[in-house]
Amino acid sequence: MLGFLCKRVLQMFVVVFLALTAVFFLVRLSGDPTALFLPPDAPREQLEYYRSQLGFDRPLYVQYGEFIVNAIQGDFGKSLVAREDALGLVLERLPATFQLALFAMGVALLISIPIGILSAYRRNSLFDQLGVTLTVIGQAVPNFWLGLILIYFFGVIMQWLPTGGGGSVTHMILPTLTLAGYSIARFTRFTRSTMIDVYNEDYIRTAKASGASMLKILSWYGLKNASIPLITLVALDLGVLLGGSVITEVVFSWPGIGKLLMQSLLSRDFPVVMATIFLISVIYSVVNFLADLLYALVNPQIRYR
Amino acid sequence: MKKAFGLLLMVLILVVAACTPATNVDEPAKGQVEANAGSTTPEKVVIALESDAVTMLANTDLNYVNDVQLRNIYDPLVSRDIEGKIIPNLATEWSNPDSNTWEFKLKDQVVFHNGKPFNAEAVKFNIDFILDETNKSFYRSRWLNVKEAQVVDDRTIRIITTKPFANFLDRLADDLLIMEPSHVKELGLEKAASNPIGTGPYKFSEWKRDQYLELVANDQYWAGKPAIPIVRFRYIPEFSARLSALMSGEVNLIKNLPVDSVEKIKAQGNVKVAVRESARLNYVALNTFYDGPLKDKKVRQAIRHAINVDELLASVLNGYGTKMTGPLPKVNSGFSETPDYAYDQEKAKQLLKEAGIEPAQLKLQLDTPNGRYPMDSQVAQAIQAQLARIGINVDVQVNEWGNHLSKIRKKEMKDMYINGWGPSLEPQTTVEGLFTKNAPYSGFYDSSVEEQIQATIPVFGKEERKKGFDAIQNKLVEEAAFQPLWQQADIYAMDKKLKFEPRVDERFQVHDMSW
Repeated sequence: MLGFLCKRVLQMFVVVFLALTAVFFLVRLSGDPTALFLPPDAPREQLEYYRSQLGFDRPLYVQYGEFIVNAIQGDFGKSLVAREDALGLVLERLPATFQLALFAMGVALLISIPIGILSAYRRNSLFDQLGVTLTVIGQAVPNFWLGLILIYFFGVIMQWLPTGGGGSVTHMILPTLTLAGYSIARFTRFTRSTMIDVYNEDYIRTAKASGASMLKILSWYGLKNASIPLITLVALDLGVLLGGSVITEVVFSWPGIGKLLMQSLLSRDFPVVMATIFLISVIYSVVNFLADLLYALVNPQIRYR
Repeated sequence: MKKAFGLLLMVLILVVAACTPATNVDEPAKGQVEANAGSTTPEKVVIALESDAVTMLANTDLNYVNDVQLRNIYDPLVSRDIEGKIIPNLATEWSNPDSNTWEFKLKDQVVFHNGKPFNAEAVKFNIDFILDETNKSFYRSRWLNVKEAQVVDDRTIRIITTKPFANFLDRLADDLLIMEPSHVKELGLEKAASNPIGTGPYKFSEWKRDQYLELVANDQYWAGKPAIPIVRFRYIPEFSARLSALMSGEVNLIKNLPVDSVEKIKAQGNVKVAVRESARLNYVALNTFYDGPLKDKKVRQAIRHAINVDELLASVLNGYGTKMTGPLPKVNSGFSETPDYAYDQEKAKQLLKEAGIEPAQLKLQLDTPNGRYPMDSQVAQAIQAQLARIGINVDVQVNEWGNHLSKIRKKEMKDMYINGWGPSLEPQTTVEGLFTKNAPYSGFYDSSVEEQIQATIPVFGKEERKKGFDAIQNKLVEEAAFQPLWQQADIYAMDKKLKFEPRVDERFQVHDMSW
């Protein structure tokens, strides 16, 4: 167990390091940010002056070395735009993203699991066919489109809900639904197919023979076994959700890290981009690590492999 | 298992409940609409902007979104009227004892939001703030000609420049805002950056990062109490979402309506559209830095004859824009009428022939940003089609904005590119910023033009200066230095009951608005 833990923790460090390295060089390919900050009529010497002040005149490997040394100490520098601690700016927005992600995950699980079980139980019924169709649509519909349609219908036409922004529970409903849409479709499909597999297992037949109702058997004995692979799926999606959904946050002007990432990319605010990527990769690795732990707890076979 | 599931559910609900703050909620959509529909005038105006402010410190960051918000908190020494003409603000009058000295008389009895008096010391503090390198003000590059600010007496400030600074009033009108010195000193820059104190019509109330900035009326404002008690700037990055918020009544005013949505919006019952000819110009650079055929003046002239700006305006921009023939827009204080290159395919072909070029052999690249200027990439495609009419082969290259700008700055552009410039309210900044050796934006450089520009910049006499810029404009047109297109039209959509007249400088001066 200890070896397993050590290996996983080490892997996490590697993932975060590689993500930071890749993004560091990729954003620098997009050009020098200095030009975006100065007035267009700024003299060349001024441009050079700011470039050296911000350190962009040095060779890339020097910039990278300095970045890594500072990043290890948790220092991502100051935002070029807001001139405040970059990591601080990201952390400030993390609660909003967490709130939305957890809400969306909760909604997705509450909706998809019952539908998945019922679909498996009443296989090929009208309910099942409807469910399958909807999940295919749910997986195919792009986030931004769903978001805009929801805004238009519930915000503009019906005027039941605010069109965007943060603050109250009512502000959460539309972005939550938008964000949960994809996971609902994925989980439902997955639950349905694993339940159908479980349905053919011997222990279900035994349970059936003991006279319990099929629905109870499926949701009781069946779900427990089906939930093992589901954990991985949930963890993957949760990692994505907690990492901030850029599109949903931008469409709903939700004040989370996804929106911040988008804005700082467009304004070439490199320190904030790097701090955001750092947090996202840490969150993603940690969530997956926890999922693996949980997985190992639920299924002891994993630990010995 | 049942217990575990129930427990999980409870934890989830608790987490979500704990994460949900119940503070500072915008009125629900419906409530707002009802408030606006009733006979009582709403308390608040909500203006949606595409991004957040970056700092509440004045004189620091150049970006438009920051500036329009801060101008409701801080006052300048001189400001502009709705047409862009300079008018007194905190400075009541000014004079030039000599061409390197400016003296300003300051308004009496003005107090900051914290009760401290406004005086010459405060003006000096703010000028010094821009000039001090350690403050890293992005305005500093435009203020390098300012040597120092001297306090003559409580109501008089004298500014000494290193060389004649003929457009200094424009710098004052567009850059300098007055912060309360003791407040900034006591709090330090980092804290003052989120807690502004000025003399303006609105006082700071709350800034919720990434969400909104709320200001409340300064009832003691020297130019009279504002008619609208509360203003909120909301940040909605996505255009469709901004528009939805306007249509649902959550937001009362938005800017930069795309030309192709105007008719649709006009059909909405509760919303009206207002258009203002702006001081921003769009143009096609005919790049002489790139070693291509456009180095030849005759080829540039041919291109100008082959591009039909009227047609582009009518068919691509639905008429929203004002055609330009020279380098300056009509709203510029130095504008002079210049001859137009008429749309004439034969003349274009003739000029190409004279340059020894067969149109069919001419292959040009046209770079364009996508969405930075109204219909920019569509305009590029239309130009491609127009030039194809005389056989010129144009390859349109669409760039992300930051990348586009960086290619221009590094002079890595090829034959032509679409770009914008502005606001262009006085001639020097535009001519110097576009057509001198170190300025990469127009892609044009000519040593004789440069000489003319450098000779005109220090001229202080009004008449003589005007004459100099007239000659420069005509010379640039004769050289076909670039292909000017139009002054952008700024299109606003707002609540039908809101009284707001768009300004040429694109500012939202809420003090001038009412319900």
